[in-house]
Amino acid sequence: MAFIELTNVTFTYPDCSEPAINNLSLKINKGQFVVLFGASGSGKSTLLKLLKKEIQPHGKLLGQIVIDGQPVQETEGLANDIGFVFQDPENQLVADDVLHEMVFGLENIGLPPNEMRSRVAEMVHFFGAESLLARKSHQLSGGKKQQINLASVLLMQPNILLLDEPTAQLDPVSTREFLDMLKRLNDEFGMTIILAEHRLEEVFTLADQIIMMEKGQVQIEGEPKEVIPKIWNSANKDYVPSIPALFLSMNGEGSVPLTVKEGRSWVQRAMADPYGEKEQVSTPLLDDVRIRAKSISFRYEKKSDFILNELDLSLKKGEFYALLGGNGSGKSTLLKVMAGLLRPEVGKVFYDKKALKSYKDHELTRRIGYLPQNPKLFFLQDTVEKEILETIDQWELADATEADNLLNQLGIAHVKTSHPYDLSGGELQKAALACLLLRKPEILLLDEPTKGLDPISKRRLAEILLELNAAGMTIFMSTHDIEFAARYATKCGMMFQGNITSEDIPRRFFKGNFFYTTMIQRIFRDLVLRVPMTLEEVSRQCASIEKL
Amino acid sequence: MENRFARFHPLVSFLFYAGSVSLLILMLHPIFLGTALVIIVLINFFHDRLSGLRRWKFFLITTFILMIILNPLFNERGRHLLFEVGTHRVTLEAVVYGGMNAMSIIGVIALFVSYNVVMPPNKLLFLFAKILPQFAVLLMLTLRFIPLMRRRLEEISVVQRSKGISVSHGKWNRRVRTGMLYVQTLLTYSLEEAIQTADSMKARGYGMGTRSSYEYFKFRNADVLAIIYLVILLSLIIYCRSFGYGFLTVYPVMEAWKLSHLDMGALTCYLMFLCFPLFVEAGGWYRWRLSN
Repeated sequence: MAFIELTNVTFTYPDCSEPAINNLSLKINKGQFVVLFGASGSGKSTLLKLLKKEIQPHGKLLGQIVIDGQPVQETEGLANDIGFVFQDPENQLVADDVLHEMVFGLENIGLPPNEMRSRVAEMVHFFGAESLLARKSHQLSGGKKQQINLASVLLMQPNILLLDEPTAQLDPVSTREFLDMLKRLNDEFGMTIILAEHRLEEVFTLADQIIMMEKGQVQIEGEPKEVIPKIWNSANKDYVPSIPALFLSMNGEGSVPLTVKEGRSWVQRAMADPYGEKEQVSTPLLDDVRIRAKSISFRYEKKSDFILNELDLSLKKGEFYALLGGNGSGKSTLLKVMAGLLRPEVGKVFYDKKALKSYKDHELTRRIGYLPQNPKLFFLQDTVEKEILETIDQWELADATEADNLLNQLGIAHVKTSHPYDLSGGELQKAALACLLLRKPEILLLDEPTKGLDPISKRRLAEILLELNAAGMTIFMSTHDIEFAARYATKCGMMFQGNITSEDIPRRFFKGNFFYTTMIQRIFRDLVLRVPMTLEEVSRQCASIEKL
Repeated sequence: MENRFARFHPLVSFLFYAGSVSLLILMLHPIFLGTALVIIVLINFFHDRLSGLRRWKFFLITTFILMIILNPLFNERGRHLLFEVGTHRVTLEAVVYGGMNAMSIIGVIALFVSYNVVMPPNKLLFLFAKILPQFAVLLMLTLRFIPLMRRRLEEISVVQRSKGISVSHGKWNRRVRTGMLYVQTLLTYSLEEAIQTADSMKARGYGMGTRSSYEYFKFRNADVLAIIYLVILLSLIIYCRSFGYGFLTVYPVMEAWKLSHLDMGALTCYLMFLCFPLFVEAGGWYRWRLSN
């Protein structure tokens, strides 16, 4: 008998006509690493929450959920058997310092102090978190916060670990670190892990079983290598990570490669020196500098370190610039300085060759559109429509039909009357973008716009951005999504210790990197002379060779 | 420099500060208060080289001056006339009474400055967790939420400024309206996010049964001795105080400032109580010298 077994589970939220989970049956064996994926709103989070009695959402539940032979509804004291890690690193924290946070769960289950002490000692050592114990939790980076959350859950010694998009807000290196930790827990302690994720590049290599959900139902389920070809042939191609996608698009033979290692060995077998050197195709850029930062330094407090340190940056007209870098390297701060929201302590920002300071606030806001990292804070009104009307009113834009057109174009006309907080991440992003585009800015500054988006919403966002870009809009975005940057940006920059340490067009930029680089680059690294970065490049290169 | 007093069990520190504050309020006598102020400044000096007090300098001085001036301004009682301003009598009694209150208050503030150095919130939390576990959780959440809300409000104002909406420009009625919208957004947003916090608490078994509490601090012999020392002195002083010693009666008739024998006794105990952190630092320093 399976460890976790769901039979004909249907769950409907109150006041909803459509069930969130629809007649779902599922079996998960002990010690498996399961990855759940699917579009936002496909019921992943709901399914995870249903497995844990304490946080089961309100609503009507039909069917049976049995864990370890016991129906979930009837069990008592499962709190320590099932651990749950949520998406947002900040919101899960309860205490203001790390040690309190770690022992919170243990105190709740009334563990005697001596046992607590030994468990904490062991876990802190396992995580290597000795130096963090006395720190304030809000001073930690997102990656560290999420590790503390995981540690706090693990201290309760769960058998099952449920994670709801835990790495959505982490940079690539922290994500890697976090996933390695999960892998170890699964390998070394046989912990059953169910992970819901959008960024599938890395998690597929860890999984024993992957489950794709759609509209509250299991769409496809099975071992990654068997299932991936099925996904590739369905309408949800976008979900396939780039290494298997490369394999499948080239009609490769044998088993599907998942890891870089497998990918490399396949490539070596399949194509012995497939293409020689080719000339660089240089993209002609207009030499028209739109916005320029000249050795700017910034810090939040007089006594603290500089967040931005003598940074230089210039954006040309029509450029699509993607800024990469770790959590806390100063990307958000840079965006705020560029938008004129923060004043640099030293240095100046020039906009169309005039200092930013010489513009009136009003003029500047009209030209620069800034999309914050958390679009929830963007909305002051309680429906999207009111917010749009307010914007039209504020900027004296006469045309309300234009707004409707814009909403249609972005595909969010149906959420006009909803409260902003009821929208999904992608919809919220677009609604805020709509309000920005109404005032027709010349520059868009986007702070991690791809955060928490499923692959399909991400592609749509990219289409919108490319369209704007083609129409002459300068776009500057920060992101953790390397594949996205490699595919769509015209220039990439790396932020490190308050400075942009390197910048170049994507193909040259990613060439030398080890972590901050695409999966495709990792596969072809050192194997071919002209290393491609994205799937598109591979197929383009192949096509051009065939023509020859 | 490492602060030896802070290494005591939180109960000791708490007892010392609670005791000192009550003594400052109870023992209204210029000599007592004057020496207490000197000692408190010394304690601050040893704990953080006065950096905390310096930040409060302005507030302390204005409070002191205001209280000394205000009392004679509103209070004409007393026999010893100092001078008259128009028809307003300024009496020695009023000045002394105002002065004592002023010293008592700035003494309490200065004590709190040192309290902040020695007792970070988690120590207080630890003390309460023993007696009132539920209250401790509430306190812990509050401690996290106040700075969190402040950061969020800042974030909201930055984001809104990027839209051209701000509370520092425009007509004032519009500014007030925007301000209200900010607060409204802050509250809805915080409530929305708090749902996740609540889920995370429940997921870790909050409210399942009786809570235990992690012991961050051990009770050592030195702590027991310190508590006995402090409690004995405190009871002696309060015993004396209950007979009216260590207190200057100002109204209706002002006593002489001269101290009687029992007053002297009370003063000795008082000094020994307040000097406790200084003794600890001195003792630690002496031991360090011996061992090296």
